[in-house]
Amino acid sequence: MKSAGPTPRNDLPLRHTVPNGLAVSLRDLRMTFPGQRGQPPVEVIAGIDLDVHVGEFVVLVGPSGCGKSTVLNILGGFQQASGGQIVVGGQPVHGPDPRRIFVFQENGVFPWLNVVDNIGFGLSKHSRAEREQLIAHYVEMVGLKGFEKAYPRELSGGMRQRVELARALAANPEIIWMDEPFGALDYLTRLKMRSDLVRIWQSERKTIVFVTHDIDEAVQLADRVVVLTPRPAKIAAIVPIDLPRPRDMDAPDYLHARDRIFEAMGNLALARGR
Amino acid sequence: MSLAQPRSTPTWLALLLPLTVAVIFIGIWHVAVSWTQSLIFPRPWEVVEGMLELATKGVLHKYIISSLFRVLWSFAIAALLGVPFGLLLGWWRPANLAFNPILQLLRPISPIAWIPLSILWFGLSEAAPMFLIFLSSFFPITLSSMAAVRNIQPVYLRAASNFGLGRFRLFTAVILPATLPQILTGLRIALGIAWLVVVAAEMVVVNPKAGGLGYLINDSRSAGRYDLVVAGMVLIGVIGLILDLLIRQLEKFDEVRWAYATQ
Amino acid sequence: MSLKSVALLGSLTILGGISAVYFHYNQEPRRNFQIGFLPVTCHLTCPVTHFINEQMHGEGTYDPRRFNGFPEMKEAFISKDLHATFIIAPLAMKMREQGVPIKIVHLGHRDGTALMVHKDSPIRTIKDLQGKKIAIPSYYSNQHLILYRTFQREGVRYDKNLLIETPPPEMPVNLATKQVDAIIAGEPLMAKTEMDGYGRVLFLSKDVWPNFISCVLAVREDVIRERRFEVQDLVDGIARSGKWIDEDKDTTMSHRMQAADIAAKKQYFNQKPELIRYVLSKPPDRVKYTNLKVRRADFEEIAALGVAAGIFNGTVTFDDYADTSFIPEGREIDAWKWELKQ
Repeated sequence: MKSAGPTPRNDLPLRHTVPNGLAVSLRDLRMTFPGQRGQPPVEVIAGIDLDVHVGEFVVLVGPSGCGKSTVLNILGGFQQASGGQIVVGGQPVHGPDPRRIFVFQENGVFPWLNVVDNIGFGLSKHSRAEREQLIAHYVEMVGLKGFEKAYPRELSGGMRQRVELARALAANPEIIWMDEPFGALDYLTRLKMRSDLVRIWQSERKTIVFVTHDIDEAVQLADRVVVLTPRPAKIAAIVPIDLPRPRDMDAPDYLHARDRIFEAMGNLALARGR
Repeated sequence: MSLAQPRSTPTWLALLLPLTVAVIFIGIWHVAVSWTQSLIFPRPWEVVEGMLELATKGVLHKYIISSLFRVLWSFAIAALLGVPFGLLLGWWRPANLAFNPILQLLRPISPIAWIPLSILWFGLSEAAPMFLIFLSSFFPITLSSMAAVRNIQPVYLRAASNFGLGRFRLFTAVILPATLPQILTGLRIALGIAWLVVVAAEMVVVNPKAGGLGYLINDSRSAGRYDLVVAGMVLIGVIGLILDLLIRQLEKFDEVRWAYATQ
Repeated sequence: MSLKSVALLGSLTILGGISAVYFHYNQEPRRNFQIGFLPVTCHLTCPVTHFINEQMHGEGTYDPRRFNGFPEMKEAFISKDLHATFIIAPLAMKMREQGVPIKIVHLGHRDGTALMVHKDSPIRTIKDLQGKKIAIPSYYSNQHLILYRTFQREGVRYDKNLLIETPPPEMPVNLATKQVDAIIAGEPLMAKTEMDGYGRVLFLSKDVWPNFISCVLAVREDVIRERRFEVQDLVDGIARSGKWIDEDKDTTMSHRMQAADIAAKKQYFNQKPELIRYVLSKPPDRVKYTNLKVRRADFEEIAALGVAAGIFNGTVTFDDYADTSFIPEGREIDAWKWELKQ
């Protein structure tokens, strides 16, 4: 088999041809969990309106436990919202959908499959040759060459997240949901993973909705950062980051954007303190 | 402290220590029988002689084969029925609601308590001891397979549903491989129990022509040959150990090792 | 190789291999006539008849099947795994009372039971047995009834709670370790305690209940109906063996010694021949194999005792549980014309 270099793939038609160019459209998204053992119900999301454009990289940040993961789970179809209008890819969400792949915080790579089989997991409908070509392409893209036959238990945490990302990309989804995928990694690995993700996103141009509580991560990755309030979550601010990538963490504009997010979160904290 | 950090023991020590214990054990046995001048309890050497006597008469391997025949077939049938049944109970709630109570009720009944019924139903054919062995392994296999499904990490099921797997592929590509390690552990435990029970079963229900190691013990007891009783015990121990070592080999495969290996 | 292929190949190979060897060792077909027995001299005619049949005709007509205890034997009989069995008479009668369709067709022996105490025991007379723990083969055994009958005659208080049901082969060890004060069962298990030096005879059955019956040959009614010829052959063979064993009882006892050597074989009692020789000769009337016809008076006495001891409810009669038609009064059977080649 010929080696397929990390060139942008053009073998599959990109399917995100949505009329208004919106990948995600949320209107008044609300979520209330029923109270446990006689406690009153807990309101987690108190009305969110948000549009995500096709090909856009949007990061949701907010304090721990604010409900940002719940937003992502609802978008991914794993949880049902209590109210509001949720439109993804031009259609209401009815459950998980292979056109939108979720990358899990706790790593959803299957431990009983090796790297190659994990990446090829979503490709059962392709011919064998196609599958092998796609797998080789994404193995190279996420930097796992030489580890094709390794099992997840033999890989580091960062490498396992690369496998999961490659598995998501190989399925050629319109959108990738990423729920704090680098949360469990050490600082240097995290930095490397971010810059690799940016590089990959630039070559694949997928819509990405990414959840994190790390402000630096948000500023490094996002086209727009959506800052959420503490529970029940509302949108505190939307901060566009119009900086060229890769981003220089010491550039004045970068620091400025970072400060705006801090401000959006910090002011709220102060306001709550009074 | 050295206690806190396990160091790899040298091979010679790993061999020497258990050998020493074995030699001391056999020594104490010999001395104890000699001191008490027991007429009934055999010395270690007499047990070895007893085994040799059985081997030269040609009954030793016949009995071993008979016991293995019963235990392996009953175990295989229990596994073929118990694993799918357990997976069904773990996955499909109505089946669980329907069958779990009766399983929990039957599970604590010792296979020995089934002996009268097994003779009534199967007489003294091979089916009688095999039924007892089947029962003894069917319940642990079913219950561990059921628990294995419930213990699947939710993230694997969510990933699977995200990729839009159909029922069949969900089962073959995710549920089965995810539960395999715990199923295998359940099978290993069940095989041990099955081997325990074959001996007990043969002490009561067996065709003397085919014999078996449990039969050997009971028969030698009736005949007052306590050297052969102990020989039977030793053989049961050794074969049980070999069976366990064999099935343990399966736990080394990549398909299941992820669940046992500590990261 | 993957786990799947190794597990599949491995288990198929092992199962296949074990099965092949197993069937190689056990290819001898099971005969369609199975007779149960225990390794006690009460059932001596079972191995003797089988062996002589084999020697004379090249093959036996039935498979003798050894048991260790009566409960398993009874269950195998009910399950129709056994076509006929040597069994303690009251148990056969009780099974009939419970509706199991069987018939007693012949006796196994007369006498041949002993009550043993430990040689150091203070028990010297039957009266000393009061309040002592005694192992019996079954509540539905004539060993139980002989105790009941003897206790009544000697004025000893009968207490069912002191009688412990024990498989006869386990009784010698129980006596040696003094877990019970006395044991009562068929020979040669009682004599074994004597020979091994820890048992002492308190009484022999012949001395307290002459012509005592403990075991009988019982046959399933459907077998009697459908295979009458084979049953007749079996009963005749058993009767011939009885006659043969006792033929020279009071002279050379040669047949008794031959019978002992046959029964001692591994496939039958698996006991020491000296032990069985001892039981059959010291004294020779310790157990007898003549006068084995099924007679009403004998069984009505057993039935009456059983009702008194509370093991029967008295709802079945002699005609329900006995079939005397195989060797009716007036028909005499001759002993085998056969000698064991040494």
